[in-house]
Amino acid sequence: MTLTDPFLKTNSQTREDAPLKENQSPTQKAMEPVSKQFYRSFRATFTATFATIFLAEMGDKTQLATLLMSAESGQPWIVFCGAALALIATSLIGVLLGWWLAKRVSPKAMDMAAATILLIVSILLLGDVVQM
Amino acid sequence: MDWQLLGLTFVTVFLAEIGDKSQLATIALSGSSQSPRAVFFGTVFALILASFIGVIIGESVTHFLPPKLLKAIAAIGFAILALGLLWDNED
Repeated sequence: MTLTDPFLKTNSQTREDAPLKENQSPTQKAMEPVSKQFYRSFRATFTATFATIFLAEMGDKTQLATLLMSAESGQPWIVFCGAALALIATSLIGVLLGWWLAKRVSPKAMDMAAATILLIVSILLLGDVVQM
Repeated sequence: MDWQLLGLTFVTVFLAEIGDKSQLATIALSGSSQSPRAVFFGTVFALILASFIGVIIGESVTHFLPPKLLKAIAAIGFAILALGLLWDNED
């Protein structure tokens, strides 16, 4: 996931983000400052994650559940808070699990596993589309 | 503050989401990404926005944003991310 962003050039000298060095390939390291790389990859990763997960969740069972519960209870804000807390918790568990796995498995094996999982997710989503 | 309703919503959504597609994707993306933090924030914002839209707009959302189309786009997006990972590994 690499993204060329012309707006980031000016920032590259001043940022001092803690880099996550483990997973970077040697070629990337040699090419540009680590801080710039990190920031660029942060934006690219954030955007890709946000877009795909958001689209996948629209009209999904969780959204329908919160919708029904807020309509039934007449207290949409409490339902929203409960749902938001639950979603933060499950996301945190997911990220920590992935991070934990990445520390134990070689980057190459992790990428292969991740690619497989993402393809499975993709197929599950297509299954949803067919069933709807 | 209706704590019972809050707890009920939390448990319902938590159980619905644990081991679901989004969480699988989150595990995969954070494991293979250089910045797990970006994956966390991206996921959290996406999920919260989706449930916010569900709560605010209600059922009418499906009229102008057909879930079928959105899910198909998401499926393509995940497939592209997967192929990107496989492609990177070729080097």
